[in-house]
Amino acid sequence: MKYFVNVAGRDLEVEVVDRAGKLQVSVGGEPVSCDYAEVDRAGQVALLFEGGCYAVSIAGSQNDYDVTVAGHRYAVVIEDEREQAAHAAERAKHKGGGIVKAVMPGVIVELSVGEGDVVIEGQPLLILEAMKMQNEIGAPGEGRVKRLFVSPGEAVAAGAKLVELEALPE
Amino acid sequence: MFKRILVANRGEIALRVIRTARERGIETVAVFSEVDRCALHTRLAEVAVPLGGRLPSESYLDVDKILAAAKETGAEAIHPGYGFLAENAEFARRVAAAGLAWIGPPPEAIEQMGDKIVSRQIMKAAGVPMVPGMTEPAATPEEALKAAKEIGYPVMLKAAAGGGGKGIRIVQTPEELPSAFKTASGEALAGFADGRMYVERYLVGTRHIEIQVMFDQHGNGVHYGERECSMQRRQQKLVEECPSPVIDAEMRAAMGAAAIRAGAAVNYEGAGTVEFLWSNGEFFFLEMNTRLQVEHPVTEMVTGIDLVWEQLRVAAGQELGYGQDAVQMHGHSIEARLNAEDPQNGFLPSVGTISNLRIPGGPWVRFDSGLYRNMEVGLDYDPMLAKLVVWAPDRKGAINRMRRALEELNIGGIKTSATAAMRVMHDEGFQTGNFHTQSLEAMDMSEPASEIDHAVAAAVAVHRWHAARRQALSTRAGERLGWLARARVSQTTYPHHAGDDAGFAREEAGA
Repeated sequence: MKYFVNVAGRDLEVEVVDRAGKLQVSVGGEPVSCDYAEVDRAGQVALLFEGGCYAVSIAGSQNDYDVTVAGHRYAVVIEDEREQAAHAAERAKHKGGGIVKAVMPGVIVELSVGEGDVVIEGQPLLILEAMKMQNEIGAPGEGRVKRLFVSPGEAVAAGAKLVELEALPE
Repeated sequence: MFKRILVANRGEIALRVIRTARERGIETVAVFSEVDRCALHTRLAEVAVPLGGRLPSESYLDVDKILAAAKETGAEAIHPGYGFLAENAEFARRVAAAGLAWIGPPPEAIEQMGDKIVSRQIMKAAGVPMVPGMTEPAATPEEALKAAKEIGYPVMLKAAAGGGGKGIRIVQTPEELPSAFKTASGEALAGFADGRMYVERYLVGTRHIEIQVMFDQHGNGVHYGERECSMQRRQQKLVEECPSPVIDAEMRAAMGAAAIRAGAAVNYEGAGTVEFLWSNGEFFFLEMNTRLQVEHPVTEMVTGIDLVWEQLRVAAGQELGYGQDAVQMHGHSIEARLNAEDPQNGFLPSVGTISNLRIPGGPWVRFDSGLYRNMEVGLDYDPMLAKLVVWAPDRKGAINRMRRALEELNIGGIKTSATAAMRVMHDEGFQTGNFHTQSLEAMDMSEPASEIDHAVAAAVAVHRWHAARRQALSTRAGERLGWLARARVSQTTYPHHAGDDAGFAREEAGA
């Protein structure tokens, strides 16, 4: 199986092949020595890799993982060939727009934009009070405010849709 | 000395108090909320009394329930820890009225120091150096604007009845002031029922250095030197150390004397911390925290004094029994706070279940925490979960030891500030001692390109390969997790651009 792996912003291709019960791993087309042992089912891995040993913690599922090694945490995105093709198509469809969601449960204090407004990246969209702090939620990128899902005073759950942005015409 | 005390708190600080008490043969009574039924403090005290409820207001903030628990269990004194009721003068009065000893300062001192305006007036009269600022709080943006003009920009807006970094804004220009006033005042109104704001000069390039003091009930007071707390973000400390790399013996003596004057001016008793802003050899009074502080262990490591034991002794009416000369500082100690937050994503709060816990050990490593495997980390309580503390004969050795301990540490299931602490240990400014209260916010928290990215990529690929294989073979293939609220949080993704701390915490950039 071939995987496209992004480790902290760097793209790598990893191939994992089962050869008679033994896994053969290649990184960037080069075969590497890699002995992987799961300590438990909670993501603890004792890894021997190219002459080094690593206590690795892996958290996450499917495409997004967080890997902690020696006090450093790396955000890892992994896709197999089929997923890579599917995700590329998905991204092309939503270019420049998207839905901003609440990261934490909270209360909407104030809306800073209205529907139809054009916003630039980082421009405050609204103020969300969570953990007793008032937080300005900024636009993730430039675009036009297509829809506001919330109003001031409204309590929102984590993951609730807040604002939908649409791409500006080219 | 007390035979039995009640600890009106939870988490690592409840354990901290229980530990000293147990060492000294004092029994402890723990109190716990519904969600803390299995918490460590509920397991390690002698007696544990349920308070019920999930919210702090139904449990750890419920004065009647706590006093009833003390009565029922025959506790003679109450230790409030920090947070919750620790700086609640009314609670201190109720404790005394119930015939119990209060392990903390007199209620009058809490009130005087808790009010920024009153404390400034008292400190000024006591000859403690002050930062230029208003002596009366502003109720409207207009008043604040007028005051800021006289004081000079940048200014800091601060809730008249604030604390814990809430209701604080830094304003660079007059144009920013009205909106900053509005949000900060809103926070203050919601949190403390008082929206008045205090305007003062915001000193650039300042350090936050605080002095630990202890007073007995007989008019004796000593200080235990300083703590360097400049590594902070939005007024929340992340890394603290003792001693400070910029404080020499002479400066320490001057700041210590000012701190003791500050405490004496309010007839202080017990443990307290006088916070100073330090700038180019000058220091200014910031506030006094009338409780034991989170970062007290670095002082303990360097002075060899158990601050909780000293608190218990003076609360029981004993004399300190030693003078300033008896307090000696030895070596260097650093503490890293481990908060449930994601430094790589704007320090957003992180929630989850602790799935894995590897606690660092070895020489001169101390780990104060309430963490245990399967513990639920939610939003109901303070995100400060644990403190990693190290000691070494010198500062460089302490940095190396902290780095080593952070490499050993693993807290699985949530994201923590450990990676941010690691970044601080690797920061050149921190290593040379050349940093200030803005240094941490300016630090890039994204993980730099790694030499071990091939190993990481291989590990994840093999991990996924095994997971896919297990799933294919599993009879539970197709099981759904997504309906759980927690799964939804952990699986929700947000538009994110490289180098962008997306989501919250846009305030500085956007203001």
